[in-house]
Amino acid sequence: MSSSMSLRGLSQLSLDAVSRSAIPTRSLMIAPQASCFSTSAARYANPTMKKKGMGAAPKKGVKSLRITKSNKDAAGSGKRPAPGERKAMRKRIVLSNDNALEVAGLQDLTAENALDASHQGKVRGIPEEAVDALRAVEAFKPRQGWSLFRRPAVLMRKETMELAQIMKKIESSEKSKKESKRIIVYGERMGGKSTLLLQGITMAFLRKWTIINLPEGQDIVNAHTDYAPLPGSQPLQYTQDTYTAGLLSQIVKANQGFLAATKVSAKHDLPLPLSKGATLKQLAELGAANPEAAWPVFVALWTELTQPGRPPILVGVDGLSHIMRESEYLNSNVKPIHAHDLTIVRHFVDLFSGKTALPNGGLVLGVTSGSNSPANSAIELSIAGAEARQSKSALPQWNPYKAIDQRAVECLKNVDVLKVSGISKEEARSIMDYYAESGVLRAQVNEGFVSERWSLAGMGNIGELERATVRLRV
Amino acid sequence: MPPRLNPLSFSRPIAYRPKAQVQLRLQPAARIAPWQCRNYADKTDSAGADRSKRIEAQPLGHVSEEAAQTAKITGEQGPELSKGTPIEEVVKGDKAVVDNLPKVMQDAIKAKQSSSPPKGSRSYSTTTTPVTNNGSMDIGIFNLPTKTPAAVPGAKFEVPSLPLPKGSHVKHRYDPVIEQVTNLLMQHGQKSKAQRNMSLILQHLRTSPIPTINPDRPLVPGAPPPSHLPLNPVLYLTLAVDSVAPLLRLRSQKGAAGGGVALQIPIPLGLRQRRRTAVQWILNSAVKRKNVGSGKTGFAQRFAQELISVVEGRSSVWDRRNAVHKLGVAARANIVLPKRR
Repeated sequence: MSSSMSLRGLSQLSLDAVSRSAIPTRSLMIAPQASCFSTSAARYANPTMKKKGMGAAPKKGVKSLRITKSNKDAAGSGKRPAPGERKAMRKRIVLSNDNALEVAGLQDLTAENALDASHQGKVRGIPEEAVDALRAVEAFKPRQGWSLFRRPAVLMRKETMELAQIMKKIESSEKSKKESKRIIVYGERMGGKSTLLLQGITMAFLRKWTIINLPEGQDIVNAHTDYAPLPGSQPLQYTQDTYTAGLLSQIVKANQGFLAATKVSAKHDLPLPLSKGATLKQLAELGAANPEAAWPVFVALWTELTQPGRPPILVGVDGLSHIMRESEYLNSNVKPIHAHDLTIVRHFVDLFSGKTALPNGGLVLGVTSGSNSPANSAIELSIAGAEARQSKSALPQWNPYKAIDQRAVECLKNVDVLKVSGISKEEARSIMDYYAESGVLRAQVNEGFVSERWSLAGMGNIGELERATVRLRV
Repeated sequence: MPPRLNPLSFSRPIAYRPKAQVQLRLQPAARIAPWQCRNYADKTDSAGADRSKRIEAQPLGHVSEEAAQTAKITGEQGPELSKGTPIEEVVKGDKAVVDNLPKVMQDAIKAKQSSSPPKGSRSYSTTTTPVTNNGSMDIGIFNLPTKTPAAVPGAKFEVPSLPLPKGSHVKHRYDPVIEQVTNLLMQHGQKSKAQRNMSLILQHLRTSPIPTINPDRPLVPGAPPPSHLPLNPVLYLTLAVDSVAPLLRLRSQKGAAGGGVALQIPIPLGLRQRRRTAVQWILNSAVKRKNVGSGKTGFAQRFAQELISVVEGRSSVWDRRNAVHKLGVAARANIVLPKRR
């Protein structure tokens, strides 16, 4: 018997089965319409209603046997959480603890002293308005320990001071030739890399820079938001309208003052009308409200921000290794789209590689993640190369047996690196004093205790230090 | 001072306790010779002491004790018993005894008398001073004192003062309640997960608002005011567990009532048993709570909320404890005490 013959026989059988089972309940007309091997008809048929009151009434004094519980009780009769509610709960960021004590004499960072070297090794509070901006750009992460203290404060460690020096240098560079820096921040897990970015954003906010932050690289490339090909791009690029609109609204919230005070100066061709003499804030809000126009608005906003005489720009991205490889999006040939073909990532990457200049000066920070980062040999290679350049030793060899992303290598060729290592014992002492004064560390902070905890924390890894002192993690 | 050696007991072997004499030479001259005091022996319970009632079965005291007893009988002043007696003092002036001493002791006495450097001492130092760690990497374990003088002979380092401070014993370094509750939270032997949950529970207690105490459900006497609790989450946990811990359990003893009927007999519980019961009750009602949110923190959150409701007197665990106590009081009559003779 040939295969086609056997198939037909089987399909006939299944049709027979369908028709036979359909007879008692539904009309005969459905059965012949059902295609072979299809369960759709049965699945999408209207549910057969149970006939009520047909059975004989239970006799008096006879218990009817109920073996199974009703389904309702098993599933729980309570209200189910709304979609997204549980994730919102998980990602909630709490920045204060009413039980923690107010730390007496905790100084805040201010616009004047934000970049001073005198903060070295001290704990400084983050002022209220900066906290709002940091919250808007999602610089606080849910796993960090902000919820244990009265209000957000940060340790101004050595690396922070280096970053402050760099920012100072950028600010003081000549007007005609503004300096810009591109830095990869790397280091151990829980070492304070994301917090360093947060400190950078804080200082930039206080110094009235423009802040653009991509809070998590993974969110851009994991195909959770819509995408569409950008018309007229060669090679083809893809825009992410919803994501871009969200980014625009974040930019508006973080840079309120400057955007509201500045008027649109150049002429842009936007898909939506913009009133004459509109401010940059209105421009950005237009994009935030209309996702389909978000990308042209972003491009227009960027053009405005890079006009001469505008403040320097801080661009940050956390989770760098996600955007240095292929994304989860698929193109029309069902091949993965490279992350660099997404317009937002492309924009950042061009800044990071130095292809696009920052005419008003600025800082581009790419922060690697220790806990959520796919292996990326391009980043490893570029870090090793930058370290070799900084220490003037021989450049590392590329391992030909390792898969490496050439586009990422091209992009990361000439970037500087900043290593976030463990804090010193003096810095540990200062932060532990802060912990103790906040009332969350119940121990006498003396030299022996500090150095014990510093050693337990892997030579001053600040996340581990927090875990060993404050988190009560046995 | 009379000679301490009693000629009557001369045939008896002399109790010789080895002393760290070689180490003694390394000590500075200003020190009191430490081997003269017997730090390792108890004053009240000397070597000769025995609890035997019969006099003939009691062993004789050591040399100094004997000498002291003799002196007491003869009305003279005997040696001081609070300190040990060095061997050369015992045999001082008695040449025959000295000649009969073992060779090592003779050598020791000779060496003591002569001021020449001890045999085997080098003209050069064999100890090294650690190089200051300026150039080398500091890994945080150089905080040990570089030179610890040994106060007690035979001990390499200074002897710690007893009792040891809290947390300095490696096997009991954590709070006992924390340790016990962590172990009770553990499932399938996954202790690390239990420890993370414990940490999250304490964190939740720390960030939760100050509890309001229900006067109908009093906490253990001596509890601190509720405002102190959130900043001391370990105390918070201990208080919650101890407050609902039952004092007793009911054992049903078969056949005690006759005719195969089981009889409930209240049995008092120890501290750890009480806490264990309380934690298991709390766990039971925490598991029944509804999980809000998602992720790894759900269980810890529910457990912590149950703890808070225990402290606030809202928890059903209190009813359970009261029921056990009530039954226990009722079953008091079943206790049969042994007859007095």
